[in-house]
Amino acid sequence: MRHFLLIIFIGIISWSCTDSDDPVDASDGFDRQAMLINWADNIIIPAYDAYNLSLAELSNSTNSFTENPSLETLTSLRSNWEVAYTSWQTVSMFEIGKAEELTLRDFTNVYPTNTGNIDNAISSGSYNLTLPSTRSQQGFPAINYLIHGLGTDQEIVDLYTSSESHKTYLNDLVNRLATLTGEVLADWQGDYRQTFVDRDGSDASSSVNKLINDFMFYYEKALRAGKVGIPAGIFSNTSLPDRIESLHQPELSKSLLQVALTSAENFFNGVHFDDNDQGMSLSEYLDFVNAISEGETLSRLINQQFESAQSAINGLDGNLMLQVETDNTSMLKAYDELQKNVVLMKVDMFQALNIKVDFVDADGD
Amino acid sequence: MKNIFTLCLLVLTLGFTSCSDDDDSLPAINTPESYTFERDSQSTVSFSGQTTRILMGEELSSSLKDFTETTDHLLELYRNETAGGGDANPFDDADLNASDKSVKSKVAASNDFFSSNTATSSVIKADFEEWIESQVSEVFPNENTAASPGQPGQIADGSSTRWVNADGLEYDQMVTKGLIGALMTDQTLNNYLSPSVLDEADNIAENNSEITADGKNYTTMEHKWDEAYGYVYGLNADAANPNNDLGADEFINKYIGRVEGDQDFAGIANEIFQAFKLGRSAIVAKNYTVRDIQAEILREKLSEIIAIRAVFYMQQGKMALPDDRNSFTLYGPALHDLSEGYGFIYSLQFTRKPGTNEPYFTNTEVNTLLDQLLGDGENGLWDVEDTTLDDISNIIAGKFNFTVDQAGS
Repeated sequence: MRHFLLIIFIGIISWSCTDSDDPVDASDGFDRQAMLINWADNIIIPAYDAYNLSLAELSNSTNSFTENPSLETLTSLRSNWEVAYTSWQTVSMFEIGKAEELTLRDFTNVYPTNTGNIDNAISSGSYNLTLPSTRSQQGFPAINYLIHGLGTDQEIVDLYTSSESHKTYLNDLVNRLATLTGEVLADWQGDYRQTFVDRDGSDASSSVNKLINDFMFYYEKALRAGKVGIPAGIFSNTSLPDRIESLHQPELSKSLLQVALTSAENFFNGVHFDDNDQGMSLSEYLDFVNAISEGETLSRLINQQFESAQSAINGLDGNLMLQVETDNTSMLKAYDELQKNVVLMKVDMFQALNIKVDFVDADGD
Repeated sequence: MKNIFTLCLLVLTLGFTSCSDDDDSLPAINTPESYTFERDSQSTVSFSGQTTRILMGEELSSSLKDFTETTDHLLELYRNETAGGGDANPFDDADLNASDKSVKSKVAASNDFFSSNTATSSVIKADFEEWIESQVSEVFPNENTAASPGQPGQIADGSSTRWVNADGLEYDQMVTKGLIGALMTDQTLNNYLSPSVLDEADNIAENNSEITADGKNYTTMEHKWDEAYGYVYGLNADAANPNNDLGADEFINKYIGRVEGDQDFAGIANEIFQAFKLGRSAIVAKNYTVRDIQAEILREKLSEIIAIRAVFYMQQGKMALPDDRNSFTLYGPALHDLSEGYGFIYSLQFTRKPGTNEPYFTNTEVNTLLDQLLGDGENGLWDVEDTTLDDISNIIAGKFNFTVDQAGS
């Protein structure tokens, strides 16, 4: 009887609480804006800033190489390309605002690159890199082909010594990356940061809902499927080793994947880009709403799963093409570990945070 | 309302089955597990003409996005004859060139709807030619131009690149999705499943006496039914068990598979297949009442496939419209969905309301819906409003036994 009264009493209290609640604030009480500020100021903008600087270095070394093709300038160009490609992995997931409008990822990292179209563009001199149909002939994979895929090192140097059209195309590709990224960074450093932070509500167009969806889309399609699943043959009848990222410099493929996964994990935990401090994050948000799954906090489960995926990937060969060709089972196991976090995040996390998935698998035609 | 109709069919079927016990003039209906029918141990099932026309449609469809194509050649793919009416060999597939069939000759050409309505038929046949010609004259010159309101060109749709006209419409989608209605559905529902075709001339007498067609192993009536079947399943690897690989062709077969994949409609693929199989079995058993009941079920279900997809694409298009309506580069997914939807709405005029000689939407009603879709502003789909897409969805769903929500995702 006492319990019964208590229940009624609690019922009345919660009823009255609901009544007096501000009717527009339907959220869970978590300070979404503080999280958005951490994301913008400590993660996204510093990451874009670093990426933008790496592209400036890439531009410089491209200029040096095309002005004076030699083994030394080629080596320096390749090294700066690696740094920039690696830096790209830290921002690719933030396809929101200007990056979304420009479809930055698709102009930066579509692979496999279309070498036939690249050869045609170079020989004809006729191309418009702003068109969607040219996405597979630009970006890092196309530059990769142009600096690794055209013969021996000496042959490449000789080619650029003699061919103005190769120089032009290579410079155009690097400039295009720099221009796109410059626009995105300028927008963040201009008005967009405030717009992003101000959209702190919980509807479908709020920054949290949108960016979590963008993050999830990236994790599922670009990271899990693009970097691991497609080469491993998950979506085809046979494995497709030539679909790895960084095909013309395959030794880089695993480290790009590692940086991408670490960046995703850091974003989940609100880890600052420039140091290892932690700010408000999805992980904290999950703890705030007390998200539990099978007796364990969801944030912990997701972090454990990130670690499982990391260790599965650490065991792979640095050259993922070689990995697929010699021991695809380990590649499949890495995929499985990445996939488990799709379930934990896209199902459990979205549900816990009351966020709706805003993308579907493409129709396929 | 549709439930009542289905119930009536069921009652009719049951009523008939119980009668047939003491009706010794008709043999029992033996329904095989698969779509396998034989006479003297030889298959009696044949629909090679339908397979041919589906393949012709596929080649036309894929050629519309080949920027080296010419208007003359694309029209030859549609007509399988030269502009002067001579023999043409436009196809990559030599077997198709050897055929005297064409896509165009069976567009809007059913006995029930168009034998005495050639005026509308010729307008519809010309619609396809206009879309084909416009693809070359409007879109091809803008292959390397970015699309924007009023400007034909290319636009990104995820990792795909699409090419649209000034209104944001993809002509190739209009042709392909339009053919689902004008060719496959019209021929199936309004021609080959119709008593006017099945019972033509001496078909009943011959089928009753099992007199086969000249040089063939099937009766003419059996063959007509199989021709309907062939427009739906003409490219499946195992024609006797087509539901194993729905999507074998890009026309109605693919979309039976898509609707089946929506849990709100799971089971519809089997209902369609079972109705085809029972209807064919009934012809073997000379039971034309059961045959016609199956034809009515097929009219309802195949019409639903088209209507569900029309609503699906209106709703998907609505969700895909960019938040910022001035971000023109982001329209790609919405324009693609709505172009597919345009073709499915166009196809509604070839659906068939069971128990009537009418489509669910007449040619005039379809044109009204399409005008509505393009009518919110100067630039067609670029200006379309959410409310318009909802209105169209509600109008379509209102004539069927499903909701916008069920079809929309």
